Amino acid sequence: MKKLSSAKKRTLFFIAIGWALLLIGDRIGELRQYQGSFVAMYGLAIASIILLTGYSGQLSLGHSALMAVGAYAGALSINNLHLHPVIALVIATFVAGLFGLLLGFGVARLSGPYLAGTTLALAVSLPTLANQFPILGGEQGVVFDVGLPPARFGENFSQYKWFFWISTLAVLLMLWLISNVLSSRYGRTFRAIRDNETAAALAGLNTGRLKVLAFAISSGMAGLAGGLLVMLISGVSPSAFPLSLSFSLLTGAVVTGIYSLRGVMLGGLVLVAIPEIADSLVTRIGGSEGFTATLPGFLVSALLILAVLFAPNGPGTLLHSFKKHS
Amino acid sequence: MIKNTRMKRFSIVSAVVAIGAMVITALPAQAAEPGLTSKEIKLGISTPLTGTAALSYGKVPGAMKAYFDFINANGGVYGRKIKLVVRDDKYLPTLAATQTTNLILKDRVFALVAALGTATHSKAYAAASLATKKVPDLFVNTGFSGFGNQTKYPTTFTVLPSYAMEAKIISKFVKDKFPGQAVALVAQDDEFGVDGVNGFAAGSLTLASKTLYPQGAMTDARAKALVTGLSAIPGKPVVILFGTTDVTALIFKAAESLNLVSKFTWIAGSVGGDANTLLALGVKPTTIDGAIAASFFPDAKDTTDEYVKVFSKINAKYNPGVSFDNVVLQGMNSAMLTVQALRAAGKNLTRAGLIKAIENKGSKFASAGLVPLNYSATSHIGYNGYWMGQLNAKGELKPYGGTLSVVTTDSTTGPITPSTYKRLSIPTNGIPTNS
Amino acid sequence: MIKLITAILTALTTGAIYALMSTALVLVWRSTRIINFAQAGQAVLSTYIGYEITVRTGSFWIGVVAAMIFGALLGAVIDRFFMRPIFKRIQSGPILMIAPVVATLGLLGIIQSIIGFKWGLTYQSLAAPVSTDGYTVLNRVIAFSPFNLLVVVFATVSMLLLTLLFQKTNIGLALRASAHSPEIARLSGIKVDFIRTLGWALAGAAGGLAGMLYIPSSYLYPNAMDVLLVFGFVAAVIGGLESLFGAVAGAMILGFAISFATSYVSEKLVFPMAFIMLIVVLLIKPAGIFSSKKIRKD
Repeated sequence: MKKLSSAKKRTLFFIAIGWALLLIGDRIGELRQYQGSFVAMYGLAIASIILLTGYSGQLSLGHSALMAVGAYAGALSINNLHLHPVIALVIATFVAGLFGLLLGFGVARLSGPYLAGTTLALAVSLPTLANQFPILGGEQGVVFDVGLPPARFGENFSQYKWFFWISTLAVLLMLWLISNVLSSRYGRTFRAIRDNETAAALAGLNTGRLKVLAFAISSGMAGLAGGLLVMLISGVSPSAFPLSLSFSLLTGAVVTGIYSLRGVMLGGLVLVAIPEIADSLVTRIGGSEGFTATLPGFLVSALLILAVLFAPNGPGTLLHSFKKHS
Repeated sequence: MIKNTRMKRFSIVSAVVAIGAMVITALPAQAAEPGLTSKEIKLGISTPLTGTAALSYGKVPGAMKAYFDFINANGGVYGRKIKLVVRDDKYLPTLAATQTTNLILKDRVFALVAALGTATHSKAYAAASLATKKVPDLFVNTGFSGFGNQTKYPTTFTVLPSYAMEAKIISKFVKDKFPGQAVALVAQDDEFGVDGVNGFAAGSLTLASKTLYPQGAMTDARAKALVTGLSAIPGKPVVILFGTTDVTALIFKAAESLNLVSKFTWIAGSVGGDANTLLALGVKPTTIDGAIAASFFPDAKDTTDEYVKVFSKINAKYNPGVSFDNVVLQGMNSAMLTVQALRAAGKNLTRAGLIKAIENKGSKFASAGLVPLNYSATSHIGYNGYWMGQLNAKGELKPYGGTLSVVTTDSTTGPITPSTYKRLSIPTNGIPTNS
Repeated sequence: MIKLITAILTALTTGAIYALMSTALVLVWRSTRIINFAQAGQAVLSTYIGYEITVRTGSFWIGVVAAMIFGALLGAVIDRFFMRPIFKRIQSGPILMIAPVVATLGLLGIIQSIIGFKWGLTYQSLAAPVSTDGYTVLNRVIAFSPFNLLVVVFATVSMLLLTLLFQKTNIGLALRASAHSPEIARLSGIKVDFIRTLGWALAGAAGGLAGMLYIPSSYLYPNAMDVLLVFGFVAAVIGGLESLFGAVAGAMILGFAISFATSYVSEKLVFPMAFIMLIVVLLIKPAGIFSSKKIRKD
């Protein structure tokens, strides 16, 4: 009984957020709609890292590659199979999930740095393969055209608002699914493995299988995020998935706090906002060309370090422990 | 349960914070022609300023700014000063899309100039809705022939001849001058390689060997293995290098180390053939002596050329400390084309007017290129040809065989024809006065 | 025949450079359980210092010494004033895996920005101290020059010196003890914090040397060693992360795999080979080739 009601509350909560976001989407400019879509997309990608690292204790440096898998699957579904963009995003999720499942069978038994090394190698090698297959379109890649917003939404319904709607709804739906999974038996077993793998194995949990499962779910989430990313940049290219994307996601996860999905949107916001803030700060300061070109990178890195230095367990945990004490 | 409520509360807080931040900083309503006042024209460029790509192309915005500063100091364009907003995209498609969107929606620039790269700008063009917003997208810095497609890119004007044109022209040159010699292609495995390989196929050049290497993976050891492999080809094979200058230099140095420089006839593509850079990267003067390169500009070292003379003077004054090379020449030239386009659009400047002005008058703009500009209502293609030259030990590019022969072609199956284009002389002191 | 010889020589020179990088990563991993992504930045910054000194003094060798000393100091400072405070604040669990990655990446960004401020974004080239013209064997110039020989010799000698340090000296004993069980080491009177910092300093010096030996056959720019870091890390993982011998062996295995795949199959296989080798090795031995039988959980 109790469990059911908490699941219902969660659903209502997600519906409320979705409704609020749609209302907000009407009241903000095109730029904010576009940035908001990126926040949602990054938030989902960060959530996929948190699920993998924070909940099942595995470290991946290769999520950019998993996003690429979803992105290509989605773009090809639209371009070659002429499927509806929404279906393409579903396909992106499932293809990446399947890829993650296969990969998971190979790598889930690896511990920390070995898994990190393997996924890192995946992240640098997978995009270079895109040029081998003409269907993937080489460096120009494949167009991901989500199409114009439906006519019934009216003339003033801009492309960016359409992006915002699709991204936020897709992300909310996915996060709702995941939060249901995490509050189920699986979520508890994931945490059991993370906290003490040996004890979990002794308690009769098939830790290997559960780790593979976590890897597959995380890949599926990353795949959807990848599909959304290439929707937002209107096409997929190998260079859209550099190693630095993987690293940004890890950063977002640390800033968010890797033990819960509570603050993922905050992480997404940080990834979008900090470079913007750095850029506008530099514009205000001015200076020589070399200086203004280099300073944003410096500021972003410095902020990262400060975040790790002062809130290594994420602001969420900081708030949480603060509440506990008060 | 308790934990759950807390979780929700936190989520709500973070969501509200996130959205609040977005709403508060939302922008004021749109003006009629963005980026335009009676005193200023705001232009935007999205290009790599940091990261590896910036090593080759980072000089473009500085060169353009220098020329605009020079024009501003001389009265601007009909009294309006040109302001160039530069945004760093690190040569990444995602950043190109967001930075170009920022240029349009946040900086509210009037037009874009000299955007760099294929994967980057093709994403940015669609993501920033440049077509629907009818934003002029002037003189994109890439040899990707697709940007000439007016249905897909109605507001884009290319300037560089395409890689496909280059490959076709080199194909014909090799077949004419080195008949019977085996030809090997070494190309970077991205747009250079793909467009290049297609172009060589269109030029029906038979390749004895074709090596496509991934970007960032060429090292001196790999270059030596590669050159050793090519040395197995009998005769004096022609080696075509279609990649960035750093890799061209690595391959030249590998050939030096293996004492195989004279085994080959070397042809460097226009992107990777900048002699100044090659010499600065440690390639021996004797190695580049005799190497063949394709170009559509005068040689940046040719101080007798009036454009080079004026541009290097402007560079010395407004871009101090930056050496004058092909990239600076290209940046200045694009900036001068921009100024002429703005002038041609008249005092009553509009986005649509600017596009019309280039379509109507663009082919008559003064430019440093030795090949014609092909702008018209039905063509947004800039330069469409090349001349083949030979480097000497000083790094000067001289016409192959002593006489300059410029040829033009298209990106598909069209013929290669000698050009009769007579370059217009540079406006007095480099200040355009066209209308 | 010449193809085979060239592939082997290419593998050897490439492997030697990977080895210097993987050694640096293993030194840090052993002493602090951190994958140090800032290593690429530290090595490049040290090389810029070495480059400046080389230009000023005209001697490459003084430059090498300067790069190594600077690298060691930088490594020590980073551990003492940066990594240690972070680790004091971090709880146990998965955050221990991910926070150092983010911290060292942030550091990498800072170092590369500093290089950008100071030296700008241009390629610099550093001349090799000895000839880069290949040796002539049986009337044929081979893909191996005196400079390549020097790199291989230096990599080997520094490996031997490090092995001697680890196996034959008290410091080496302390380094090994702190790596395996810091608590017991602390109880037996070893200054574990000092030893950790020493590990970082040694790694920094190795990185400086790697840069000075690598850059003459490439160019000097802020991102010059990013790709090398990826391969060095892959090599270290193949070798099992725990032993210096493993780091060198992993580097050579990777060097040979990439050289043969690119020479005989396709130039495009450079990056995919790194992934293929890792999968093959780790499927057989999940903790690298030279791991002890027991898989370490940390």
